[in-house]
Amino acid sequence: MDFSFTKKEEKFRIELRTWLEANLPEGWLEGKRDLPEDLDEYSRVLRAWQNKLYEGGWAAIAWPKEYGGRNASLMEEIIYHQEMVRVKAPPLINYIGIHMVGPTLIDIGTDEQKERYLKKILTGEEIWCQGYSEPGAGSDLTGLKTRAVKDGDRWLINGQKVWTSFGHVADKCFLLTRTSTHPEKKHRGITVFMMDMHQPGVETFPIVQMDGHKDFNEVYMTDAGATDADIVGQVDSGWHVLIALMLHERTGIGAELFTLEKQFNDTVELAQQYKVNGKPLIENPLVRQKLANFYARVRGSLLNYYKNLTTTIKNGQPGAETSIDKLVVTELNQALSAFAVEIQGHQGVLFDKDAAADPKWQHLFLASFGQTIGGGTSEVQRNTIGERVLGLPKDMGR
Amino acid sequence: MDFSLTEEQEMFRGHIRKMLDKFGGTQLAREMIDNNPENLKKVYTTLAELGCSGINIPEEYDGMDLDALDLVPTFEEMGRSLVPGLFMETSALVVPTLKKYATEEQKQQYLPAVASGEKLVSFAALEPFNDFSPAGIQCTLVQQDGQYVLNGTKTLVPEAELADAFLILVRTNQEDQEDGLSLVLIDKTEGMNIEKLSSFDESKHVAKIEFNNLVIKEDQIIGEVDKGWMQLQEGLLYFNAALSSYIVGAMESVVNMATEYAKIREQFGQAIGRFQAIKHSIVNMKVNLEIARSLSHYANWVVDTDEFDREAAVYSARTYATEKFIEVSAHNIQIHGGIGITEEIDCHLFVKRARYYDQYLGSTPFYQEKVVSSLGW
Repeated sequence: MDFSFTKKEEKFRIELRTWLEANLPEGWLEGKRDLPEDLDEYSRVLRAWQNKLYEGGWAAIAWPKEYGGRNASLMEEIIYHQEMVRVKAPPLINYIGIHMVGPTLIDIGTDEQKERYLKKILTGEEIWCQGYSEPGAGSDLTGLKTRAVKDGDRWLINGQKVWTSFGHVADKCFLLTRTSTHPEKKHRGITVFMMDMHQPGVETFPIVQMDGHKDFNEVYMTDAGATDADIVGQVDSGWHVLIALMLHERTGIGAELFTLEKQFNDTVELAQQYKVNGKPLIENPLVRQKLANFYARVRGSLLNYYKNLTTTIKNGQPGAETSIDKLVVTELNQALSAFAVEIQGHQGVLFDKDAAADPKWQHLFLASFGQTIGGGTSEVQRNTIGERVLGLPKDMGR
Repeated sequence: MDFSLTEEQEMFRGHIRKMLDKFGGTQLAREMIDNNPENLKKVYTTLAELGCSGINIPEEYDGMDLDALDLVPTFEEMGRSLVPGLFMETSALVVPTLKKYATEEQKQQYLPAVASGEKLVSFAALEPFNDFSPAGIQCTLVQQDGQYVLNGTKTLVPEAELADAFLILVRTNQEDQEDGLSLVLIDKTEGMNIEKLSSFDESKHVAKIEFNNLVIKEDQIIGEVDKGWMQLQEGLLYFNAALSSYIVGAMESVVNMATEYAKIREQFGQAIGRFQAIKHSIVNMKVNLEIARSLSHYANWVVDTDEFDREAAVYSARTYATEKFIEVSAHNIQIHGGIGITEEIDCHLFVKRARYYDQYLGSTPFYQEKVVSSLGW
């Protein structure tokens, strides 16, 4: 057991920290961290940040050097996330391109595709979204109905996608379509296209969430076009492409856990500041018990992540037990943000400019409900753990 | 970074598991219900032969001078089979306390005997109708005519009938609550009135001990007089790290039982593990187990360091483990259905032990408060 970092890893941390301090937007470290409300302006600012990361060599550290990455180890990726959380760095607008599409193309894309797309992913010139879920295909993604039909040397795409993050700013979509029907084996007959979002047949509409944010979109395709060169992998073998893509998302949960740990420390501060009957809330024995309980759960989740990471480093790839990390961090986030609102008393419902403390708590609380749904619901995670970790039989219908 | 046990530690686990399986695993606990500790004694002899009883004892006292983390496989495996007895009290409470506070003579007298397996030590703290706190300790040790005299009653003393010696928390000063307690270590003598108590966890024997003017020599007091509570906190750190490991082993057994049963038990024409109501319940048990394991491995590593979160890590491992042990052992009965509430199936052994350890040497709120205050909150 060893919790230390190697000299090389420490050097990496210092190099990144120094770069961030010199290159973050002006005033960011001092707390001036507001991003523009206007979508176009928001997109412009974050594309510029992405480009700055690229120029500093920090856009896609896990990619191989020959494609503009740093060949970073898993531990270096962990350090990267720790440092980004430490300075509350601006979000990565091309997250999907950097962490999912790019690595998948490096892995199974053609030389032409690598040449055409990778650099623009790095620079932020082309932002990516993913077209997976549909109104009739949520947890059961194989129920997707968006069709791609060959018409001469073009493919015509018709259908509707939903919950498309970054859809409103994206230039390209990593799109799952049905190209043939196999009622008994529904994961067959799916093909992945890299679809251009800027064409007459593609329309996006933002979805307004319960917190007022518009993080997701509906995407409608009416005779949208694509060519053979836009297909990732082979026709009808999109399911394998999707699985390959998911394996590339190696350390995203780590980033969420570091954020969770920070939220917990902030919650403790909140309990120290709030007063009930003239006394700091943190002196209340019941609040202390709850904080101790959260401390155990937050530390336990983080340590469990390190345990699974150790296994991943030793085996070269993550095992099914990493589903535990996703389940735990999202449910804990939900419980913790609810607690942070609860300890603010009735004022906990006050929003934005009227919020009694940092308005982030109300936003975290409202956003926490989506976390146990997106990226595989808690129920789907529990099925995965039950079936792939414990070896329980698959449930009916699958 | 490497957050895992070493190959040697895992190999050692294999030896212990094989040995305990040879004795029938939980059969050892069942034999204790029948007041038959013969196989348990053999297990303890074998543990000593394997070197387990000397793992954390310095070489000059015939031990191996290893760390708390090296005891983890032993405790997890003992928990897996719910092995009763005094191994944990002896190795994880008495040994660390003696190492830190005892005189050279006291160490010479006890540590080699513990390492060889010759001496098992029980711990007597709780008193009837009192709680585990400085104010709850009323047994008096009073100086009279150049000697010390012990009076009072201790309760819930584990496996007193198997103990060769007792570490006892006594009051030496009425003026000060916390700084008025001392630890004494005495061999079992005729002068103790030991009475077995009836407990619903029948595989874990507990007794009441009455002391009537028992004469204690000054050199049987550990460390400084009146500083017993403070000294005990050091022992409790090691003990709770060990306890969390034992419970992790026990929880693993419980999760395995539930999983295997859900694979073979059929209702409505299929294995019940196919139903999400059952599957997800077992998954929740598994998640609790893995979080508890991660907390306990870290606790057993950090306890031998001077990291800032040393106390918080140990006590949060303890509270999480005890709380979740109760939860998973109860779910295990529900998943087994009717057979789960019978004496025949092991489910009840785990539920009862979960309750035994929940309040053993401090409650959940007691340790939660320690977590929060040790972090300066």
